[in-house]
Amino acid sequence: MAIHERSLVDPERVLRKERLVIDGVDVSGDWNLIILPRVVEDYDLDFYDEVIAQPEGKTIVNCYQCSYCTASCPVHNYWDERYNPRHFIYLARLGLIDELQKRADVMWRCVSCHKCTHRCPKGVLVEEVLKAILRVMAKRGIIEEYPSKKFDKFFMDSVYEYGRIEDGELLFGWIEKQGYQVVKDPILKKPIPFFGGVPDWLKDLAAKPIKNMNISFLILNAKHMLFHPRTKNWNRFKQVLRKVMEEEGVFTH
Amino acid sequence: MAVAQVRKPPMGGIGKRVAYYPGCSLEGAARAYDVSTRIVAKELGLELDYLEDYNCCGAMETKNVTFWGTMLLNARNMSLAKKQGHSVIVAPCNGCSFSLQRAEYFLETDKNVFERINSLLREGGVDPLNEIPHTYHILEWFYHEAGPEKVKERTKKPLRGLKVANYYGCLYTRPHFYARTYSHSGTEEQERPRMRETADDDEHPYYMNALLEAAGATSVEYEPMHTQCCGGPHSLSDEQVSEKFVMMLLQTAKRNGADIIATECPLCHASLEMYRHRLMMKGVPDVDVPAAYFTQLLGLAFGYSAGDVKLKDNLSDPLPVLQRLGLA
Repeated sequence: MAIHERSLVDPERVLRKERLVIDGVDVSGDWNLIILPRVVEDYDLDFYDEVIAQPEGKTIVNCYQCSYCTASCPVHNYWDERYNPRHFIYLARLGLIDELQKRADVMWRCVSCHKCTHRCPKGVLVEEVLKAILRVMAKRGIIEEYPSKKFDKFFMDSVYEYGRIEDGELLFGWIEKQGYQVVKDPILKKPIPFFGGVPDWLKDLAAKPIKNMNISFLILNAKHMLFHPRTKNWNRFKQVLRKVMEEEGVFTH
Repeated sequence: MAVAQVRKPPMGGIGKRVAYYPGCSLEGAARAYDVSTRIVAKELGLELDYLEDYNCCGAMETKNVTFWGTMLLNARNMSLAKKQGHSVIVAPCNGCSFSLQRAEYFLETDKNVFERINSLLREGGVDPLNEIPHTYHILEWFYHEAGPEKVKERTKKPLRGLKVANYYGCLYTRPHFYARTYSHSGTEEQERPRMRETADDDEHPYYMNALLEAAGATSVEYEPMHTQCCGGPHSLSDEQVSEKFVMMLLQTAKRNGADIIATECPLCHASLEMYRHRLMMKGVPDVDVPAAYFTQLLGLAFGYSAGDVKLKDNLSDPLPVLQRLGLA
């Protein structure tokens, strides 16, 4: 018999008997699969309170575990069935920190497509709740620095500094963070896209506007790379931004 | 279409002159979208009032770092729109319209957020918000303020023979809390108190289909991929997942006979083009469908040249396909 959401059961707790006789009745083939019960004692109910304390995490209280979110989730369906939003909410509510930690390697994979939030019949902002759970996990140090978090921080730094982002800086800055060698001009220290150890696909794409003789596009982007677009009068607002981020304990600039 | 669908007529009521929040991307790599959007708006008799001195909306990234910071970023933009005398903001990017609508949701539903944000805005030297401006995606605005009839009237060079896969992306219709979309099927039991009359159908959006069909193009069957994720905020940080998602999008389009994918978000567009190139380098079959912004296609239909709508900016080279059909 199929076990619903089999991926949630640890393999060592699943017992399958070749021949099983109960009270003199041979039930092999139908009832030969047994899941050993487990005893959980390490509930940490503070975890749930910390999730609710965040403005995005509040709606977790409405969840009635229907699994509509998991059924909709493209990461669950097309990538890894261990990514299971319903289960993460369940674990967070019970405060099963160990179980959450076991899934830390997939928990960051949410692509923010909001199918879960959209379809939830109880009005849980699932995507936001999961991000709130991740944030609490990060605060407690039970999840390692994951790629998308690094990117989010990198993005935030750019917004904080200039008020605006710039595609070239974001792309090449991120590529450089990945460990690729990006060649820079000696004076302004800005990346030159066509040389160095950047991946081949990026070299090809960067060369396309040149091949197409798309001069105005090249000038525009070169201008933006040299002179980062900025929001005027940003400094005063920046201080307020800094203040709220420091209060949240996320200011790392 | 997979579903028999009643299409809403254009309702108007949003306003012919609105605040235009282009977003960072449209002034950089997605210049073509900005230019073609202005062309289409002009042709349809609509007016975009550029939001002076705006800041980044935070996209899908900053909200994972700081809740209050992201609220502040968007509240500042709303305040600027109010200052310019607008109660409607129009954003052409899914990420931007999502962020602004998300801020709108929290400001409207949570009184604490509203009060704290207003005091923080004052501190930052920006006018506080008395009332909250509403944000619309540009597609919704085009559909309701101009509509397919007007597009048909303006079309000088119909897109005859062009088979389009209309790709809406995630955040145009989702989640309904923010995007205020309605459920077309009517079987949903859940309450949607914030639903908006003019918003698109949630699972079966059709505004882009309707506009491009009015311009002479044919829509190919593209459900459910039309609202499937392209990797979105993870397109740089999680390459494996994004690559798989984009592969599914491109292959479905190709196998359903599309000549081109019409997009309405610079982030989806960039993700599609970037991974299309990488997949082609790897030799994956059926991924060579180019992408173009829907406004570029409308611009071509309105008689503008390929240079006017900056088709060369598209890294996926839609020009050969369009030239073959005699459209550019």
